[in-house]
Amino acid sequence: MNKPGNILFFILVFLLQLVISDYLNLGPWVCLTLVPFLILHIPLSRNPHWVMLAAFGIGLGLDILSAGVPGMNAFAAVLTAAPRKFFYRTLVNADRQDKTEILLLKDVGFLKYARFLIVLVAIYLAAFILLDCVSVQPAGFIAIRFAASTLASTALSLLLAIPLQNRY
Amino acid sequence: MKSRYGLLSTLTAIALFLALETISILLVVEKGVVQRFKVMGAVRSAQSWVWTRTSRIGYYFNYKAENERLTAENLQLRQQLVRYAAARAALDSVAVVVEPDYTFIGASVIKNSVDRQHNHLILNRGREEGIETGMGVVTAHGAIGIVSAVSRHYCYVLSLLGTDQSVSAKLAGSGAFGPMVWTGKQPDQAILREIPVHVTVAPGDTVYSSGFSTIYPPDIPLGTVVESKVSKGSSQEITVRLMEDFRTLHNVYIVKDNRREELEELYEQAR
Repeated sequence: MNKPGNILFFILVFLLQLVISDYLNLGPWVCLTLVPFLILHIPLSRNPHWVMLAAFGIGLGLDILSAGVPGMNAFAAVLTAAPRKFFYRTLVNADRQDKTEILLLKDVGFLKYARFLIVLVAIYLAAFILLDCVSVQPAGFIAIRFAASTLASTALSLLLAIPLQNRY
Repeated sequence: MKSRYGLLSTLTAIALFLALETISILLVVEKGVVQRFKVMGAVRSAQSWVWTRTSRIGYYFNYKAENERLTAENLQLRQQLVRYAAARAALDSVAVVVEPDYTFIGASVIKNSVDRQHNHLILNRGREEGIETGMGVVTAHGAIGIVSAVSRHYCYVLSLLGTDQSVSAKLAGSGAFGPMVWTGKQPDQAILREIPVHVTVAPGDTVYSSGFSTIYPPDIPLGTVVESKVSKGSSQEITVRLMEDFRTLHNVYIVKDNRREELEELYEQAR
């Protein structure tokens, strides 16, 4: 994917996340996020410092623009971005390092892509939901919210990944 | 040389990670800090422009239900007015004219969230209309939240649908009161806590605001009792079905407590 295409893709997914946050009411049980999907698609050639700063920017931007509690998405996004390279090497393929500008489903196959995505989504949601619910909600509610949110967010991200791979 | 560079890079990455996470946590703890930045005024103005227009679209599709709600509220107010007029006529010979305790300022909801653990609303009234932080927001069917930030034309309200928000509520009949907090699970259910065990509670009993603060006026119907259970052997925890449907909120009232300054002055003196 070329650079303007990258930027346009990030803007479109970010806007979609804003619409989800502002207008889609799924109730307190499900938290739908595309931030891990965005973090996954930060070009692989970027160093970890850059990735963490970009994730922080995405998270804080979302916090501010969706009028949520500032810092919650930023915290979860940085926590997801920090181990991204490690999980990429472990779950996708160490040999592919730096060979692709952006990770596409068709390049690595559905299984590798999906397990990498689900790990990032799980880290993000674990941090976000714990920060949101800890000490005010019982463990059962937190566990159900985490499971439902991880499933829903991964499914939506995969749905977006399919047209993306056909486009580029 | 290469390994030294690698070590330095790892250390700076760890430092950056810790710094970004610390900033995020500080922002979460100090919720209002972002609102105080000057640039946020411009951001909020742009957002409010979008939200006002999108809320109008939403309102268009709900106007029938909203109309019915306002008609019912109007009828209720008319009935109250008739009763007050009769009472006032009887008291006219002895009554002293006093300033009302509360003033209500009408407002429209331009943004509302109900699916988070800390929900909020944006209303189209701000500093120019006399809105201040700490004012309560109500409807005829419940307490809605507390104004937490104010701009020139808009205000940001922390919704009662927030696990860290509470309203002092009392039971009809017994008058037993306690804090009522949202459950965080259903947008129409809350828990009334600290009700003594000896108080008899029946499903369907009405719960009202107690008025034991300068935020919400007394006797606003909040909800009805669903069930009660003894908590830790010392008090009852009562599940309350809220009367107000937060998902379809459009018209609300911001409450100005005319005694607030005097009361705050009194608290200061007592310290």
